[in-house]
Amino acid sequence: MLRFLTRRTVAAAVTLVIIAAVTFFLFFAMPSDPARLACGKVCPPETLAQARHNLGLDQPIFVQFLEWLAGVFVGRDYEGLGHCSAPCLGYSFVNRAPVFNTIIDRLPVTISLTIGSSVIYLIFGVGTGVIAALNQGKALDKIASVASLIGSSMQIYFVGTLAMYFLVFQWQLIERPRYVPFTENPLEWAYGLLLPWLVLAMISTANYTRMTRSTMVEQLSEDYVRTARAKGMSGRTVITRFALRGTLSPIATIFGVDLAVLIGGAIITETTFSLQGVGRLSIQSVVNSDLPMLMATVLLAAAAIVVFNIIVDALYAVIDPRVRLS
Amino acid sequence: MSTRRRPALAVLAIGTLALTAACAKGNAGGSADAGSSSAPRPSETNLTELFAPPKIEVGTADDSKGPAIEPEGVVKGSTVNMIDRDDYPHLDPGRVYDNVTANFHLLITRGLTGYKKVGDNHYKVVGDLATDAGQVSDGGKTWTFTLKDGVKWQDGSPITSADVKWSMERLFAPFITEGPPYIQQWLTEEDYKKSYKGPYDGKELGNIETPDDKTVVFKFNEPHADANYALAMTGYGIVPKAKDTKEKYDKTPVSSGPYIIAAHSLDKSMDLERNPNWDPATDPIRGAYPDKWHLEFGYQALAVTDRFVADTGDDQKTFSFYTHVAAERTQQVLQDKSLQDRIMRRPSPYGDYYYFNLDRVKDVKIRQAIAYAWPTKQIQTITGGPDTSVINTTILNPSVSGWEDYDVFGFKQHPEGDLDKAKELLAQSGDPTPTIVYGYNNTPTEQRVTVAIKNQMAKIGIKIVAKPMDTKTWYDATGKVENGLDMYWGGWGADWPTAATVFPVIFGPVRDGGYNQSHLKDPEVTAEIKRIEGLADVDEANKAWAALDKKIMETITPLVPGLNNVGLQLRGSKVGGAEIDPISWVVSPNTIFVKP
Amino acid sequence: MTPITPFLSVQDLHVSFQTEDGIVKAVDGLSFDVEKGTTLGIVGESGSGKSVTNLAILGLHDPERTDIGGQVRLEGQELLGADRTTMERLRGNRIAMIFQDPLTALSPFHTVGRQIGEVYRKHKGASKREARERAIEMLERVGIPNAKVRVDEYPHMFSGGMRQRVMIAMALVCDPDLLIADEPTTALDVTVQAQILDLLKDLQQQTGTAIILITHDLGVVAQTAHNVLVMYAGRAVERGTMREVLGSPRHPYTWGLLSSVPRLGTSVDVPLRPVRGTPPSLINPPPGCPFHPRCDYPELAGPELCRTQRPEISPDAGHGDACYLTLRQKTDLRTVAHAAQTTQTTQTAQTAQTTHIKDRA
Repeated sequence: MLRFLTRRTVAAAVTLVIIAAVTFFLFFAMPSDPARLACGKVCPPETLAQARHNLGLDQPIFVQFLEWLAGVFVGRDYEGLGHCSAPCLGYSFVNRAPVFNTIIDRLPVTISLTIGSSVIYLIFGVGTGVIAALNQGKALDKIASVASLIGSSMQIYFVGTLAMYFLVFQWQLIERPRYVPFTENPLEWAYGLLLPWLVLAMISTANYTRMTRSTMVEQLSEDYVRTARAKGMSGRTVITRFALRGTLSPIATIFGVDLAVLIGGAIITETTFSLQGVGRLSIQSVVNSDLPMLMATVLLAAAAIVVFNIIVDALYAVIDPRVRLS
Repeated sequence: MSTRRRPALAVLAIGTLALTAACAKGNAGGSADAGSSSAPRPSETNLTELFAPPKIEVGTADDSKGPAIEPEGVVKGSTVNMIDRDDYPHLDPGRVYDNVTANFHLLITRGLTGYKKVGDNHYKVVGDLATDAGQVSDGGKTWTFTLKDGVKWQDGSPITSADVKWSMERLFAPFITEGPPYIQQWLTEEDYKKSYKGPYDGKELGNIETPDDKTVVFKFNEPHADANYALAMTGYGIVPKAKDTKEKYDKTPVSSGPYIIAAHSLDKSMDLERNPNWDPATDPIRGAYPDKWHLEFGYQALAVTDRFVADTGDDQKTFSFYTHVAAERTQQVLQDKSLQDRIMRRPSPYGDYYYFNLDRVKDVKIRQAIAYAWPTKQIQTITGGPDTSVINTTILNPSVSGWEDYDVFGFKQHPEGDLDKAKELLAQSGDPTPTIVYGYNNTPTEQRVTVAIKNQMAKIGIKIVAKPMDTKTWYDATGKVENGLDMYWGGWGADWPTAATVFPVIFGPVRDGGYNQSHLKDPEVTAEIKRIEGLADVDEANKAWAALDKKIMETITPLVPGLNNVGLQLRGSKVGGAEIDPISWVVSPNTIFVKP
Repeated sequence: MTPITPFLSVQDLHVSFQTEDGIVKAVDGLSFDVEKGTTLGIVGESGSGKSVTNLAILGLHDPERTDIGGQVRLEGQELLGADRTTMERLRGNRIAMIFQDPLTALSPFHTVGRQIGEVYRKHKGASKREARERAIEMLERVGIPNAKVRVDEYPHMFSGGMRQRVMIAMALVCDPDLLIADEPTTALDVTVQAQILDLLKDLQQQTGTAIILITHDLGVVAQTAHNVLVMYAGRAVERGTMREVLGSPRHPYTWGLLSSVPRLGTSVDVPLRPVRGTPPSLINPPPGCPFHPRCDYPELAGPELCRTQRPEISPDAGHGDACYLTLRQKTDLRTVAHAAQTTQTTQTAQTAQTTHIKDRA
């Protein structure tokens, strides 16, 4: 396990540096020039040169990248703005605020959205899947499969916008989504995010229902499940300890993917519900040609994918002892 | 400032002026895409009639006295809420160029001059910190301003002429690149940062003089009749010499306006409280009626619209500086009778043009034939119908001072195109069946607009070769001198409501990345522009600009004017004094109050 | 010979499944008894209803899809239709089962110790520690070396034979009265097979457990069973002691089964004679004797008898079969059938298994 983690962590670090480099160099292939954006509409040459210098864009791209990379590990000094301590992701091109602070400030929103919704969709998705599997072919099963079909064909921006329009504005059943830090007031935190959670969960539940149902059906016909019954294990034990256990691997797989793409999904979710998370930050950074912010959000998204991949792989070994980590 | 669509405006708000000056048509959808859902209605009203152009003139010393003229039914006190998508990129006024940030700065920043609302659709350029809108001498080269008594910083110290001079000088410092360049250029040279590096190393700029604590004298190299317009820009707002922290000032500005920033959570919210050292008696511009302002950011147009439509709780005391009604709600909002007293509409103050590339389409008869045949009406239908835009017939936007109406090509008389006249002109031209390469921004709406143009031109024998172009690189591609195109859309906005920042730019130097997109290089026009720029009298200059507008259109026809978008906003029912400002095209905070 | 209340008594058992194609009569009127300390071998081809019968005894069929009729009595207690808790209390406790493929029949997710121990905990109310100790003890008993270490290992870490020993340890952990072993050695190679069978025999001698051994391998039966039941198409076609059935089989199907077994000492160019044809459809079984389409002698019992009327096995105990041939015909034909296969070696040629039979006889 330790060897596995060490090896994968090193690989992950290398991956992230490569992604950082690719992002960095691709950025400069984009047609928009951040220096031009930091210069007024009427922009005389010397002003443009100064804008370029202020953003650190007047050096060779390669040097810029190395300085950025060094900043991540040892910090960096910025002319007029002072020292930016490690891990320094730079200052935003747009408002010259430290990128790292902004990310740290926004991350809890995105994470809260993810955690809350995933708890709901895991419980409902897996629960419905199990019930459907145990009632194979009966009305409950059919209802669950129709519901999951509908759910999976929904989109956040559609359901979310409808939910906002009716539940919040027209009928005023729930307040506008807002983010209150968990540490400040856990109840307010949950209440403020309840609507996005439910909408997100409604869409994702379907995946888990289908996955759980089909795997569960398979598992129920496994020999070892029959053995368990032949041993006199009670119905519930058979389902939870044996059959459900076998569905964990596929669920962990899709859950890992769902968590890994959290920032991609957050773009739409946070926009729909007017929440200020990392998703919004990432789309803003693209629109604004804000390289430091863009780097940070891309890296965060990449890190999420890499880390959750490692976690899921490690989890396989925990779930299924036949899996050997290598 | 130039922008065409609501999203473009939002982009503008995050301090990306260059991008928006170069904001491609139909960029990112916006109200333009609402067109698909709105078939033209038979009983349409032409909004041009509803929106007469604003009257903007220079005010007197009397006009410059405070307090501001109160809107009808004004109530003072309470907290007003403002919601928009984006926070302000800069709190240092010297780094502000865009209309949205400038509008916010009315709350905390004062300058030598500003725009005072004196009546419905009537504005005057007056002295803000200065006792009047400036005294001109030396044939328009020397401008003298005297500071009012009792104008103070938020800490109670008096605002002096040294502060004003300092505020101008610091704009030359390397860290300030974002603001407008005009005053700096007029004081020095075109590439103004070459001649002076700012006051921080102790060097002063000789041609701003401060004979005493109250007097500031600007000595320009050339006459500039509208320097008081230029100085009304937020970029020339004042910064205290004693408390200037250079780069860091952007995060911790000192207020000279009616409010102080009490709390600011970047990109999320801002709270303003009264500045006890602001005296309304010195301020002819700002009403500052609410006691407190609560600003929140991060709301998309749809969320903002739905909140205003629902109008519940605190949202009744809420408005938006710049967020327009979301495109998908436009028709609903316009048709809902219960919302009519809460909607605000205003045509944009920006120019919107279909440029000819004069290097390629050399025959004026062909250009004029296209102008006659132009499918204005069809385009209007596609882009959202007559509720969302008005027909422009001139190069200058009607909101520009001195604008005079004319309609050489009958855009209003024949909104569907005057095909007979067009055919007649084509017959006289060197090539009765020309081929025109038309570059368009590859968005769904623009695709449909292009088809309409293509079909229309086919009727008079002109073959349109439509070239789809990428939205992101739109301005880079069309901004090249050798762009390989005959016709393309472009936008431009004046920095202040005179033609002084229009004609010298859009018919100025032809270069890659420049703004002379028709590549007009007529010596006569250039000479006339130079002459008018040198005029010391603003009214005379304005008249001359209007005449030049018509002359260029009649004799050269370098462009076909595009439609002028009508901004549509909603507000909470308890917000009073809100309207879309005809100059800045956003809701000014100056007249806002909260109804009980 | 039959006691008044046999230990396990199956009477007129019917099991049928609803499928898309129709009703499958997997078991159609089966009766047999098993006594303590004895082993009943149930033989037959795949699909003859052997496994279905035993799952029915344990009540492991999905009640929604299965129709079960008849009686299954354990020491007089009716098991068919018994409530869930009663059955759960019986399973793994008084009646245990060993499945064919220990790799799939053991949970891959739990250690063998846990899988063995949980049965003990469930039925005997033992603590975790006790259960673990018991698991180690059981592993030792079934001959797994180093049981203290291996108790914490997972099934995939064991070899096939060891895995089957784990299965047996798990089945015997509560000292069951009845052990149902469904093809316990099919997945194993021959040497391991013999070890496992010996193990079962030893354990039976120690505990007096009754064993139902399901197999298609007559060799296995010969080695372990006291009584034999031959099943065909969901019915018993022959029944008797091991010596009776294997020594003097009466039913042509049993002959077929015997002659399809390779024998040691037989010349390799003598072909095996598998039972020709394929097992009958259980949805539309042939009229008359279900075996008649594959039988070589349907005419001998009369022109139409085998094709129209189903022969029943005699309800009495003892050696019995379901065939219309006379005992005389059966004896003669059996000799011929044997002779046909063993022309060169005559009756001296015996398989290892049949030697075994003689020895025991």
